[in-house]
Amino acid sequence: MGELLRDFSFILVFAVLAILLALVVFLIPYLIAPRVYGSKTESLYECGIDPYGSAWIRYSVLFYLYALMFVAFDVDVLYLFPVGVSYLKEGTMREFWVLLVFLSFLVLPLLYAHRKGVFKWRFTVRE
Amino acid sequence: MVSARLLKDLQEMGVELQEVPYEKKGYCFDGQLEKDKLLQAVEGFDHYGYFIEDIICVDYVENLELIYHFNHWEDPKRFSLRLRVNPEDPEVPSISPIYPGGGWHEREIHEFFGVSFKGHPNLSFLFLHPEIEYYPLRKIPVRIPEEKKKILQGKMPDLEEEAFWINMGPQHPSTHGVLRLFLKMRGEFIEEIEPVLGYMHRMQEKMAEMKSYMQYYPNTARLDYVGPLAFSMCYCGAMERLCEIEVPERAEMIRLITLELNRIASHLLWLGTYLLDLGAATPYFFAFQDREAILDILEELTGSRLTYCYYRIGGLYEDLKDSFLKKVEEFIHRMRKNLKIYDDLVTGNAIFVARTKGIGLIDKEVARHFGLTGPNLRASGVAYDVRLSEPYAGYKFLRPKIALLDGGFCYERYLVRVKEIENSLDLLEEALKRLPDGPFRTEKKIKKPPVGDVYFATESPRGQVGIYIVSDGSEKPYRLKWRSPSFCNFISFTEIGKGMLIADAVATLGSLDLVVPEMDR
Amino acid sequence: MEVYGPRIKIGLLEEFLNLARANSLWPMTFGLACCAIEMMATTAARFDLARFGAEVFRPSPRQCDFMIVSGTITKKIAPVLKTLYDQMASPKWVLAYGNCAISGGPFVFEGQYNVIEGVDKIIPVDVYVPGCPPRPEALIEGLLKLQEKLTGVRRFPIPERRW
Repeated sequence: MGELLRDFSFILVFAVLAILLALVVFLIPYLIAPRVYGSKTESLYECGIDPYGSAWIRYSVLFYLYALMFVAFDVDVLYLFPVGVSYLKEGTMREFWVLLVFLSFLVLPLLYAHRKGVFKWRFTVRE
Repeated sequence: MVSARLLKDLQEMGVELQEVPYEKKGYCFDGQLEKDKLLQAVEGFDHYGYFIEDIICVDYVENLELIYHFNHWEDPKRFSLRLRVNPEDPEVPSISPIYPGGGWHEREIHEFFGVSFKGHPNLSFLFLHPEIEYYPLRKIPVRIPEEKKKILQGKMPDLEEEAFWINMGPQHPSTHGVLRLFLKMRGEFIEEIEPVLGYMHRMQEKMAEMKSYMQYYPNTARLDYVGPLAFSMCYCGAMERLCEIEVPERAEMIRLITLELNRIASHLLWLGTYLLDLGAATPYFFAFQDREAILDILEELTGSRLTYCYYRIGGLYEDLKDSFLKKVEEFIHRMRKNLKIYDDLVTGNAIFVARTKGIGLIDKEVARHFGLTGPNLRASGVAYDVRLSEPYAGYKFLRPKIALLDGGFCYERYLVRVKEIENSLDLLEEALKRLPDGPFRTEKKIKKPPVGDVYFATESPRGQVGIYIVSDGSEKPYRLKWRSPSFCNFISFTEIGKGMLIADAVATLGSLDLVVPEMDR
Repeated sequence: MEVYGPRIKIGLLEEFLNLARANSLWPMTFGLACCAIEMMATTAARFDLARFGAEVFRPSPRQCDFMIVSGTITKKIAPVLKTLYDQMASPKWVLAYGNCAISGGPFVFEGQYNVIEGVDKIIPVDVYVPGCPPRPEALIEGLLKLQEKLTGVRRFPIPERRW
C-alpha cells in the first residue's frame, strides 16, 4: 500500500511542476515585457483586413472527422509509451510479436476511415 | 487568311477598316466604329478565334476614344477598333458577355475615366481607394459621384449558414505581392472569388502625363521588377517606332543578350518562390544562387542589380567590355550543369507531381477569352510568342525556339518554363557568336516626338507586354497605356479558381507567375 | 496607441534581454514591391541574413517582432499596415527599406493621389535604409544598426581604412 502511494506521489510532484511551469511562463512576460497597445492589437489576424462574418458557422463534417482521426492516432502513440516501457524489462521475440498484434489493433480504425473515404475531400462521406 | 475573311465580314456589317503600315504604327488594321455596331463586330472577332488584347481609353477633351485591340494566334495581325464617346455622358455596351476578359479592362476604364458599360455584371472599384475625389486620368477634373465609389459592390455579401468568407489578404506569403482575394469557402472548396487589386497602384499612367519622356523612363523598370528589361525594351521600341529612329545592329544584339539573361533570371526566381509556396525550401536557395550569377553579370554592365536603366531611345547607354562576353560564356556553361540539379530535385519528386499534375486546367477557349499569354499559354498547346510573331531587337536576326506542351496544368507550366531556360541558353550561345561590331547608339536625339500614336509589343517572361503611346508633339506623353501580362493572366484565375481546393488555388496562382505591381500599374 | 514600459525594470536584466532580442529578431514578411526581391535575396545563400539571427521570416505578425517595410505605401494599404503593426508582439521595431518607404520614392510627383510619402507618417520607424533598391549588404547594415540601437555596441565595426 505504501509503495503504491509512493508511486503516485511521483505523479503528484510531476503534475504540480507542470502547472508551475505553465504559470511561470505567463508570469515572466507579465513582469518584464513592455506593452504597446494599438487599436487593433486584440483583433483577429486575417492578413491585415478585418474579418467578415462569424467563425461559428456550420462546418463541413469532414473537418470533424479529420480531428477525430487525429485523436485516434494520438491515443495510439500514447498507448505505446507504457507498453514499450514495461516490455523492455524482459525482451524476447515473443513480446515483439505480441506488441505488433496490439499495434495492428490500434491502426484498424485508421484503415476503416481510409476505406470509407474520410481522407479525400468530398462534400459527403461515402456510406 | 483569317484576317481577310474577317475584313470581308466586317465590311458587310458596315464597319470599314483601313490597312495601316505596321512598321510605323504597331497595328495593322484600324477603323472607326459606331456604338450600335460594336457588339456585332466583336462577335465576328469571336467567331474567327481572335483573342482580346487590351481596351484603351484616351481622353481627347472634346470626346473620349475607346480603342479595342484584337489579335490572333495563328495570323498575328493586330486589329484596332476605335469608338468615340461623348464626355458628358459616356455609355458604351459592354463586351463582357462575349469576352469576359474585356469586362475586366472595362472595369478599369470605368474607374479611371468614368465610362459606364451597359450590361456589365459588376462595375465596382477595383484599383482605387474610396477617398478619391476626381477621375484620375481625365484631363479636366470630373468629380466621382458617391454612389459609384464602391469596392466589392459597396456592401459586404450576405452571410450564409454554411459558407465562410475569408481574406487571402494583402499580406500573405503565397500571393507574391499585395493581392487580395476575398474568397467564399465551403469547407475547403472555393465557391466564389472576388479580387481586390490596387494595393500597389502607383499611378504609372498618370505620372507619364506629368513627366517628360526621358524623365518617365526609369519607371518602366519598376513596373515588373523581376523582368524589367522587357518593359524597358517596350518603351524604347515604341519611341523608336514613333520617331523613326534606326537602331544599330550591335545594339539590337546586345539588347537580345540582356533580355535573354533577364528571362533566365526571372524564371529562376519564379522557380524558387513557387516551390517555396508548395513547401519545398531547398530549390529556393539553388535558384537564388544561380540568379546571383546573372545579377553580377548585369550589374557590371548596367550598374544596378534589379531596376535597370540600360537601354536608351536609339541604342544603349554604354558598350560591352570583353570581360562581359567571357562571363556570359562561363555562366552558360554553369547553368547547363545546374539545370540537372533542378531536374533531379524537383521534376520527379512525388510530392511536387501530386500537387501539380492535374491541377489548374487552363484550356484554349478560356485563354482566348481572357487574353492569356506567355508560358501559361504555351503550356496549353498554343504556339504564340511575340518574339516570333512581331520580331523586335535581335529577334529579327535570330529565331528563338518555342517550348510547347499540351495539357494546361500546373505541371506543364513548370516544364515549359524550365525548357524556356534551356532555349534561352541556346539563343545566348548563338547570339554571342553573331555579335557584330559597330556603334551602340544612334546620334539622332529627339526631344519632341512627332504627333501620332504607336503600339509596341514585347515578350516578357510573363507574357505579352504592350504599350500604347499617344503623342501630341510636346515634351510629355499625352497618354501612355501599358498592356500588363500579369493582369490578363490573373483575370483568368477568377474563372478557373471556382470549385478548387484552397491548396490547389495556391498552386495555380503560383504557376501563373504574377507580379502584382505590373497588374496595378 | 498606448505605450507602457515593463512593470519591473532591472538594469542588468534589461541589458541581457536587449542582447537576446537583438540577436534573435524575427522579421515579418511585409514585402510589397521591388525591395521585397532584394529582401528575399538577402535571405538566400549569398548574403545570408540568418547568421545575424534574423532567419525566421514569419508571415503572421503574432510571432514577429521586427517589420521590414519594403516597398511603396499606397493609401489602400495604409490601414492594413497599421493593423499588422498593431498585431505584432511588443517590443517591436520597424525598418524602412528603400526610398519608397522612407519618403515615397520615385512615385511622388505633382498631382499624385495614391502614394503616402513615407511609412513614418503611419508607424514609428527605427532604422532607415535608403536606395532604390538598396543592395542586400545595405539591409544587413541596417540590421546591424538596429542591433546597435538595442545593445549599444556595434558588432563587426567598420575597419579603419589606412589608405
